[in-house]
Amino acid sequence: MCKWGVALSRKSISFTLNGEKTEIEVEPTLLLVDMLRNRLGLTGTKIGCGEGDCGACTVLLDGKTVNSCLILAMQVEGHEVLTVEGLGTYDKLHPLQSAFIAEGAVQCGFCTPGMLLSAKSLLDENPQPTRQQIAKHISGNLCRCTGYAKIINAIEKVANS
Amino acid sequence: MSQYRIVGQSVKKLDAVDKVLGKAQFAADIHFDGMLYAKVFRSNVPHGILRSLDVSKAEAMPGVVVILTGKDVPGSNSTGMIVKDEPVLVKDNGKIRKIGDPLALVAAETEVLAEKALELIEADIELLPPVFDPVAAMTDSSPKLYADGNILAVRKIRKGDTGVVFRQCAVVVEQEYRTQMVEHGYIEPEAGVAKLDGDVVNIWVSTQNTHFDAKEVARNLEVGLDKVRVIQAATGGGFGGKLDISVQVHLGLLAMKTRRPVKLVYSRTESIINSSKRHPCTIKMKTGTDNNGKLLAMECTIIGDTGAYASYGPGTLTRTAVHATGPYEIPHVTIDAHTVYTNNPTAGAMRGFGVPQVAFAHETQMDILAEKLGISPLEIRLLNALRPGAVTATGAELKQSVGIVPTLEKTEAAAKPIINSQCTHVTSQKKRGVGMASMWYGIGNTGLPNPSGAYVNLLDDGTALILTGCADIGQGSDTTLAQIVAEEFGIDMADIRVVSADTGITPDAGASSASRQTYISGNAVRLATQEAKKVLIEMAAVMLGVAPGDVVVGHKELCVRADSDQSQFLADCLSECRLDLGLSPKGKGQSVSLVDCIAQCRIKGKLTLGHGWFNPDTTGLDPETGQGIPYATYAFATQIAEVDVDTESGEIEVIRIVAAHDVGQAINPINIEGQIEGGCTMGLGYALTEEIQVSEGKILTKNLATYLMPTALDIPEMYPLIVEEPEQTGPFGAKGVGEPTLIPTAAAIANAVYNAIGVRFTELPITPEKVLARLHERQNA
Repeated sequence: MCKWGVALSRKSISFTLNGEKTEIEVEPTLLLVDMLRNRLGLTGTKIGCGEGDCGACTVLLDGKTVNSCLILAMQVEGHEVLTVEGLGTYDKLHPLQSAFIAEGAVQCGFCTPGMLLSAKSLLDENPQPTRQQIAKHISGNLCRCTGYAKIINAIEKVANS
Repeated sequence: MSQYRIVGQSVKKLDAVDKVLGKAQFAADIHFDGMLYAKVFRSNVPHGILRSLDVSKAEAMPGVVVILTGKDVPGSNSTGMIVKDEPVLVKDNGKIRKIGDPLALVAAETEVLAEKALELIEADIELLPPVFDPVAAMTDSSPKLYADGNILAVRKIRKGDTGVVFRQCAVVVEQEYRTQMVEHGYIEPEAGVAKLDGDVVNIWVSTQNTHFDAKEVARNLEVGLDKVRVIQAATGGGFGGKLDISVQVHLGLLAMKTRRPVKLVYSRTESIINSSKRHPCTIKMKTGTDNNGKLLAMECTIIGDTGAYASYGPGTLTRTAVHATGPYEIPHVTIDAHTVYTNNPTAGAMRGFGVPQVAFAHETQMDILAEKLGISPLEIRLLNALRPGAVTATGAELKQSVGIVPTLEKTEAAAKPIINSQCTHVTSQKKRGVGMASMWYGIGNTGLPNPSGAYVNLLDDGTALILTGCADIGQGSDTTLAQIVAEEFGIDMADIRVVSADTGITPDAGASSASRQTYISGNAVRLATQEAKKVLIEMAAVMLGVAPGDVVVGHKELCVRADSDQSQFLADCLSECRLDLGLSPKGKGQSVSLVDCIAQCRIKGKLTLGHGWFNPDTTGLDPETGQGIPYATYAFATQIAEVDVDTESGEIEVIRIVAAHDVGQAINPINIEGQIEGGCTMGLGYALTEEIQVSEGKILTKNLATYLMPTALDIPEMYPLIVEEPEQTGPFGAKGVGEPTLIPTAAAIANAVYNAIGVRFTELPITPEKVLARLHERQNA
């Protein structure tokens, strides 16, 4: 039963999640963020507002940033999804992850997964962005702790390396 | 260059790897099988009496497991930081004092069902006339929120005789200031999970103070404090807003009732409506100087709207009063700060704790005075700045670590070459201006005991475990405390594990608030380390054949002090002692490794385990005069802001902020820079865009699309500067920095706006609409 008390049929979808083929049965009203967090246990993707205002739930859909709280799970059928869990591991951190640590870009860490994915999508399409371009690209990801300066430093460091 | 090995180094935050991997477990990430989901049914009126609740339809809904109302709270049914005035669940015939007051709890098999059940609950509420204006609330004819009236507290400070001295002042400035209600805006909304373990209620929660939470849960569940274990989950920011009780007691009640795990996560709107806010304040300030600009007298009346519940209100307004002079010596002072109840959203602790409001007033006053006197903003501040030996408004003499003058000098020197040097794009439409503001901030709770405890265990292999109640909410306290212990033991950061903020394991360290943890918990862990170290040093002294006073800690070794007078007699003793210990008579002579020394302690049955606690040396404030010693030490800062004001659109762009902060001793410079940049950005929001708009007790800006916090596109170039005036009683000389970083920013920006367009704003935020209105007003005048 969905939120409005109407039974809607579940459907099996198949997509690539962090490089691996994934199949899962979902109901039409299920949001991507809820599928990731509640069905697949990938809690690295955060919910800060549920309304697309804060960017904490940012994931990459075919390499582009999306607010996973604003799209349905069914919309990723046949597509590629990258979450923070697919970015790096303890043994092999992604250069952005290393730079975020080294540059002091992590405080509470709640915006960090979404911020990292926004940064990745920027560097994938523009490997040498200016500070202004970085700021613009991450302007949909709110951070209340850092004042963004060290986040921009970290992204710039990876761009310059 | 730091004189220490690890203190003063920008070591990596201990939690950073987990956080970049998405592995850090925030409360909403926790899952248990069989877990229920909770939602809170709340009041939608600001003032009334709850006559009855009909929960029968909701209870009958499939999937709903339990509904709790006021009668289901076994204990006191009250929470509160200072005054226990907030109901856990309003009882039948109990009072509703604000929109959002909790009336019932639902636990259901899914979150969607719990939410659906809320729609089926019906409340019969008798409306009472509300009061929203704090000045009206102070009158006798106002509707009363409480039997004792709406004036919760009045903090008075009296020093000298302002009445007489104002008549002698050459220049007097009198002005009223207004500051707005703002939101903490942590990106993680409140969340928690509770689960029974035998007769113990475990609660994982996003919080700034687990030990406070546990006391509130125990009192309301009517169980022993030993039966409540509150564990801090990774916490996505706090800024004062996660000091109040949110989900903790509700979760405890539901877990006890259902004996199943329960999760409660606030939506963003629920968070904005129900979390405490920064006090909106009206401040009337009168400041007088002599002919040269020397401050002689200040009178100040502050009214702070604390909303429906006290939260940290009286503490906040006390701090506002104590800091009203700014970091300046004023011989004659009269201050009255009123904390007033209204049916508005509750205001409590928020970064700066009442000081940003009054800093906006005293720093604007300083600039107005300077202009009237024909001296510069820097000159008037240098002339009046607190120095060692100065006496504050509360009669406390500042003896040492008074770093305001160095922050003024350092900010000015750093700003000179960069400010106003790149004005090429400035047109007749855009006006550029520069403004300065300073602040002081007492470290720790105001005139109240606020101790912190810690255990430190040096393990067999030379690694160490720190147990501290101190909640790391992202500011990096785990890392800071580990650095202090690593420095003291002579071990590496990799050799330390910090277990923090778990009432089942760690001692109480008080709240992560009042910028107190580096100073107070830093001292506690240092004292604990020193207790463990004493055992080591005594053993090393035996092993090295010297007096304990001649042993110093090196990097993973204990050494004979370079200037020790190790005598032949002692050298002989050494051989003897070593034989006694079963070692060869010839030792290494000048040093013994840490692990050998620990091993020898164990052989002799000695544990290297220490405990420590620290309470800053303060006295209470006299209720009539406010005289006393409210803090053991103070942080100081000066910031310079450079702005462009667009006279066509009214928009203000902050171009640069130079911010110098006296932290005593930097433990971790990069984390301090992060605090400064984060605080300046939050201060920028306070100055220009942020305002919780309230109409008839209802918050209109209830999401992040309407409540405008700075984005990456809004930030200026920031130049964080660290000033170190060591505090004799601080751990390695350290004080604190978290809150000071935001305090002077709005004032510096407002002063810069005046410098740019000649319009003085005495009300925050300075929105484009207000700028345009004032410019048009001037044009038409």
